[in-house]
Amino acid sequence: MENIGSANLLILVGAALAVLGVFSSLVASRIGAPLLLIFLLVGLLAGEEGPGGIKFNDFYSTYLVGSAALAIVLFDGGLRTRFAAFRGAFYPAISLATIGVVVTAVLVGLLAAYLLNLSWVEGMLVGSIVASTDAAAVFFLLRAGGQQLKRRVAATLEMESGTNDPIAVFMTLLLVQLVLASGQTSVGVIAFSVFREALEGALVGIIGGFAISFALNRIALPSGLHPLLVVASALFIYGLTVTIGGSGFLAVYLAGIVLGNRPVRAFASITTFHDTLTWLCQIAMFIMLGLLVTPSKLVPALAAAFAIAFFLIVVARPIAVWLCLAPFKFQTSEKVFMSWVGLRGAVSIFLAAIPTLSNVPHADTYFSVAFVVVVVSLIVQGWSLTTVAQKLGVALDDPAPSVKRIEIDLPGQLDEELVGYPIVEGSPVVGHGTWPAWAKPVLIIRNEAILSPQEAGALQVGDYGYFLAPPQRVERLDRLFAPNEGYIDEESSAAFPFKGDVRIGAIADMYELNVQPAEREMTVAELFDSRFEENPRPGNRIDFGHARLVVRELADDKVSEARLDFVQEPKGGFAPIRSTSIRRMLGYPKRLARKVARNSKN
Amino acid sequence: MPLSDLLAPNAVFPSLAVTSKKQAIQELSAQAASLTGHDEREIFETLLRRERLGSTGVGGGVAIPHGKLPKLDKIVGLFARLDTPVDFESLDGEPVDLIFLLLAPEAAGADHLKALARIARLLRDPEVAKKLRGARDAGAAYKLLTATAASDAA
Repeated sequence: MENIGSANLLILVGAALAVLGVFSSLVASRIGAPLLLIFLLVGLLAGEEGPGGIKFNDFYSTYLVGSAALAIVLFDGGLRTRFAAFRGAFYPAISLATIGVVVTAVLVGLLAAYLLNLSWVEGMLVGSIVASTDAAAVFFLLRAGGQQLKRRVAATLEMESGTNDPIAVFMTLLLVQLVLASGQTSVGVIAFSVFREALEGALVGIIGGFAISFALNRIALPSGLHPLLVVASALFIYGLTVTIGGSGFLAVYLAGIVLGNRPVRAFASITTFHDTLTWLCQIAMFIMLGLLVTPSKLVPALAAAFAIAFFLIVVARPIAVWLCLAPFKFQTSEKVFMSWVGLRGAVSIFLAAIPTLSNVPHADTYFSVAFVVVVVSLIVQGWSLTTVAQKLGVALDDPAPSVKRIEIDLPGQLDEELVGYPIVEGSPVVGHGTWPAWAKPVLIIRNEAILSPQEAGALQVGDYGYFLAPPQRVERLDRLFAPNEGYIDEESSAAFPFKGDVRIGAIADMYELNVQPAEREMTVAELFDSRFEENPRPGNRIDFGHARLVVRELADDKVSEARLDFVQEPKGGFAPIRSTSIRRMLGYPKRLARKVARNSKN
Repeated sequence: MPLSDLLAPNAVFPSLAVTSKKQAIQELSAQAASLTGHDEREIFETLLRRERLGSTGVGGGVAIPHGKLPKLDKIVGLFARLDTPVDFESLDGEPVDLIFLLLAPEAAGADHLKALARIARLLRDPEVAKKLRGARDAGAAYKLLTATAASDAA
């Protein structure tokens, strides 16, 4: 009976914590704190030294739940990554994920050994535990801030965080063995093991990704089971890879990328499901970590842990970033930003659980340091990320307009997707009154009445239009329904048109624009492609200080004409509203943010 | 910088008779050459080179051909109203009848851009454009251009 009682209690407490976590997001958006930090705080408060008083010291369950949750978060991150985004980001990311991790671990390790009176091997263990950036935190905070970063910077950071766990995990396991056995290992053996782990992870992940997409498209499943198949398969891929000794996190990340870039059935319902699931994973993971920590046990190592955290943020990470990115062309401001987004998170705390699980001496110290580092990183870096991005100018000047696209799954259909849009003021579709031939109108909802396209005639503001369109073209359709400033202010502004094939250098010389040397040889079309992820839209703009280029027309998805606007001083008039803190805070639950943006425009 | 700094009273041509964009630029290049003492051919080619990147027709029947002349010592402007509008491959496709030609030294920097922005904004103002189209002599047009520019700067 006692077992049943405790099981019931577990359900009660678990669910209560999840509900609390969901509601805490409201608090987070009020004060602008990173949501992950709030989840952690909820866990802490519920824990043994908070009002909750729950005693939870189960490192094993934490590791279990944490790995599964992290695998799902990584898979989801991969699922939303477009191949095109990797152009120019691959090598920098790999450099950061390998050399960067080692450099960070060694630098932090030396300091830790000195501050905590540990042997250098033990110091290195501290270093490797906090050496990898956390994918959950990076994906979450980069995408949730309600802003868009320059493509290459964001892609590098995301890819780094997705691929640097294997090497940190490996170093941690290796150093735990070294601490326990003081054994001898040669550099060759280490290098080979890392290579093997990565190779196995990559193989299983890529094959797994193709297998999932094959299964989704070939096997007729009852509707509703597709998302479940995907999640179960992702966890299977993780489990399989880890069991054969490969890097499970790398495997699920790659599987996600493969799946996300292939045409699959029911993709809409899969991503919707993953939205929810990723939230649940974040909540579970961070609340659990909060529960696990006993704040009073942190005290002995607190001063040293703070010193390590700040050393990591202001010394070790920047050194690693500068070293790893030296061969690649990044601006200083971009490197500063990438140093700042060395976000630590759940991974570090999991890695810190390994010494405890392996009964390594000073296990508490490792855990305390990791916990403090993660909290400091979330507070200092996570909280300021949006502001820093704007100050350094790595945020896109003109984020993609928030279009509310309604996706409806058409079972068994790969060639067509059913999408709906609210018709808003100032959108090109209202201006032109037409849409491309490949988008077939199905029905129009006007004043709560459902009309056929013939009955409805021209689209009116306030309508909802539903269209059949090929999935790969849906993003192009988005532009037609986005409220588009480029169309509104053109009448009154003074601007010179430039054709898409004009070299940027020629324009820059004429008007003394600040252009990076690498961009001088690009054409107008190429520059917009590189700045807007191969997907420029009318109204996109690039700022050059006293002038800006704005997309006017596209032909075959390339900019065919852009206009050069001269910005009148003072520049303040163009300050985007989105930098105000309230909107930034509301950006966290992204759906909510979209809604707010739309409402405030109406 | 008020427009009177760069536009001389004798650089205003209230009824120029041309039949094409090229002829308009040619005619104004000749006038600019006699005003500044620089080579007409060089001015003409500089302006054409700029037009090849994209038309300087900014819409609303206004064009602002411009370019940089290395040997120039200050920014120089010329204004002309065409008797019959000509096609200028403008943003909005409208034929052009108000042309402000602007030549700047190589090192004019921000002043060049400020002048361009000011001229563009002034001429795109429908009220100003309407008055300029109605102005029958050079003096009236000059007054319109420089007076409004001064109040615009304040």
